Amino acid sequence: MQSYLQIKNLQLFRQRQLLLSLNEQVNGGQILTIMGPSGSGKSSLLNWLTGTLASSFRANGEVWLNGSNISDLPTHLRHIGVLYQDALLFSHLTVGGNIAFAMPNGNKKQRLEKIDHALEQVGLTGMATRHPDSLSGGQQARVALLRMLLSKPKAILLDEPFSKLDTQLRLETRQLVFDQIQHYKLPAIMVTHDHSDAEATNGKIITLTPQGH
Amino acid sequence: MNFIAKQMDILHHKADWFTHIVKLSPRFLLALLIIPVLGGLIAVILPAFGWAPALNQYTIGLEGFRALWQTPGLSTMMLLSVATGLVSTLLAFVMTLLILAAFFNTAWLDYIQRILSPILVIPHAAAAIAIGFIIAPSGMLSRLISPWLSGWELSPAGIFPHDPWGISIILGLTLKELPFLLLMALGILAQPEFGKKLREQHKVALNLGYYPMTAFFKVILPNLYPLLRLPILAVLAYASASVEMPLILGPNTPPTLAVAIMHWFNDVDLTLRIKASAGALLQLILTGCILVLWLAGETAIKYSFRDKLTNGKRAYNSAFWQKTTYILTILVISFILLALIGLIMWSVAGFWRFPSVIPEQFVLSHFQSASVQMVNPLFNTLTIGIISTIFSILLTLLCLESEQLNSKPISNFTSLIIYLPLLVPSIAFLFGLVWLQQLANNSSAYISVVFSHVLFVLPYVFLSLAASYRRLDRRFSHVAASLGAKPFKVFLQIKLPQLFAPILIATALGLAISFGQYLPTLLVGGGRIATITTEAVTLANGASRRTSAVYAIIQMALPLIGFILAWLLPKLFYKSAHR
Repeated sequence: MQSYLQIKNLQLFRQRQLLLSLNEQVNGGQILTIMGPSGSGKSSLLNWLTGTLASSFRANGEVWLNGSNISDLPTHLRHIGVLYQDALLFSHLTVGGNIAFAMPNGNKKQRLEKIDHALEQVGLTGMATRHPDSLSGGQQARVALLRMLLSKPKAILLDEPFSKLDTQLRLETRQLVFDQIQHYKLPAIMVTHDHSDAEATNGKIITLTPQGH
Repeated sequence: MNFIAKQMDILHHKADWFTHIVKLSPRFLLALLIIPVLGGLIAVILPAFGWAPALNQYTIGLEGFRALWQTPGLSTMMLLSVATGLVSTLLAFVMTLLILAAFFNTAWLDYIQRILSPILVIPHAAAAIAIGFIIAPSGMLSRLISPWLSGWELSPAGIFPHDPWGISIILGLTLKELPFLLLMALGILAQPEFGKKLREQHKVALNLGYYPMTAFFKVILPNLYPLLRLPILAVLAYASASVEMPLILGPNTPPTLAVAIMHWFNDVDLTLRIKASAGALLQLILTGCILVLWLAGETAIKYSFRDKLTNGKRAYNSAFWQKTTYILTILVISFILLALIGLIMWSVAGFWRFPSVIPEQFVLSHFQSASVQMVNPLFNTLTIGIISTIFSILLTLLCLESEQLNSKPISNFTSLIIYLPLLVPSIAFLFGLVWLQQLANNSSAYISVVFSHVLFVLPYVFLSLAASYRRLDRRFSHVAASLGAKPFKVFLQIKLPQLFAPILIATALGLAISFGQYLPTLLVGGGRIATITTEAVTLANGASRRTSAVYAIIQMALPLIGFILAWLLPKLFYKSAHR
């Protein structure tokens, strides 16, 4: 079955004011890009999708993920992975610990092997026992990606995920992330300021306009 | 000419008296805290081994310890101290964690904080009186279930308070420690950078499918605990050696070790003081053991749960723990409210027959008669509080300013020493202070009491002010200095106005701490200085419930007035500044 993430008749309000309305479907392997100036409701949209909308906002509409309505589920039951602009690695755990934290409960040995294998795939061989703070920005971004993917999400949100990386690193990391989305056939929504990021998705681009001015 | 002028400038800079005082202040602070505490400890160890010039005893020996061992019920006293200290701290800690975990990142945490914050400033003695009222055989709890449920038409015989197992003490200490630990944790989580990082990581864990409470224990707690350790140890040290709560809520035969030591020390038979000193040393060892035990338990838990952090399990009976925490939180809050309501009703109760929940008549005569007796204690309470707080605030401000002048934070050693009076059981070093005072022939009880209050006020004032002072935007003082303002002018006209609100809060906190001090006032003052708190404790054992309630209410009202002023004044000032 094709996986998909669907936003049905979303209307997002700040206080009484309509911020945005959206009606979109993203299929597995596709990336929908949302662009727009700050204050246009980009991050509120992501918060609504993950179920962490602040109380000063109000929303009508539904989110559907692979045929089930997840609008009323709490964050931890939605199976939506998020990649933020900061890696947000847990500093009380090692690199391997961060990934293990995300993986489902199971056989310890198999889990460790899987972590080593995953790190190898992104060019971080043998880094499992390192402390996250000792990694470079690009390496941290890759660990954050692995952490998110190995939690087996059913959809992915990208919150300006490459904006803190320099140009060369940005291209590489972006390619890696997009390849993984293709590989796992996951629906993805990306919020960004950057036009080159948007064009690289080869997908639909929606530009939000600030409301009420 | 030019050269000479420059030399003069440099000389002048060196002679800036303010810079001088500021740079010396951390050393002064260290001396002020270390000398009395260590001196007090030494002055308790020597008499414990028989060397007591004040009693004309110079033979070194183990007489004191022998007398101590022969005290009937010594092991019960020790057990009672250890058990009440450990159990209450553990309960308060676990409940703090459950509340934080269940309500992390929700608006409920703010409400709970708002309800529990005022409890923090209630002195232990007043809290103990209120709790004693509610659990007594004729207290609120049994009135609420009588006679319809219990069938009691007359007040039943009961064991609470003063139960031989210390359950009442544990209840009192737990309810008092819970708000303290919770607010400490919330203070840590309110740090801008650190708190934001933890909240984001909690969100990441939720995105990865972790249930909220599991996410708290696996992601937040490992980062939070190291910063919470010192407050917990302070609570543990206090709980294992406090006297107010056990005096009011604890058993008499035998009491906790700390209470027994205090009785021996205050006995007319001066030779008992040798035994009391030996007891103080025992108390010190006991508290030390409890602290070590806690640290050992902490390490054991850390190692046995290390693998569990990353085993990928997302939920541990989530619904059960969530519900348990809700119920526990509601119980704690309603118990506290009930205790306060009961206290207020007793203070205005006329005739109040047993099973009725509300007094038959309300009178103000208890307040009227108490207010006559209260004049002198009230005066002492206020003046001692004001002097010790102002002194502590000034010294704290100078030390924090020295941090900025040296552009590096005070050493770890100094920060640890600031906690010293909170970590060393006060019953141990206060006796030493009394001995020293007698050696020095210091007869001004009042000044000694003020000084002893400073030891306890200073740490809290420092902790309360440090965060705001360090967060000041340095660019303002740089601008002022580049405009030619001398350091003192920058301090007085730029920094202090910016710190107006935090200074008021610290002042209110300092006053609250001073108002609540029982042991230092009693011991160092030699029983000659009466404050509201010493009177309240004395009255709690024996006098009428109604008078006792009045004193407890005054005890609660004083710090509360301070905090309300600290909260109101900045608003009034800023309002007038905006006009």
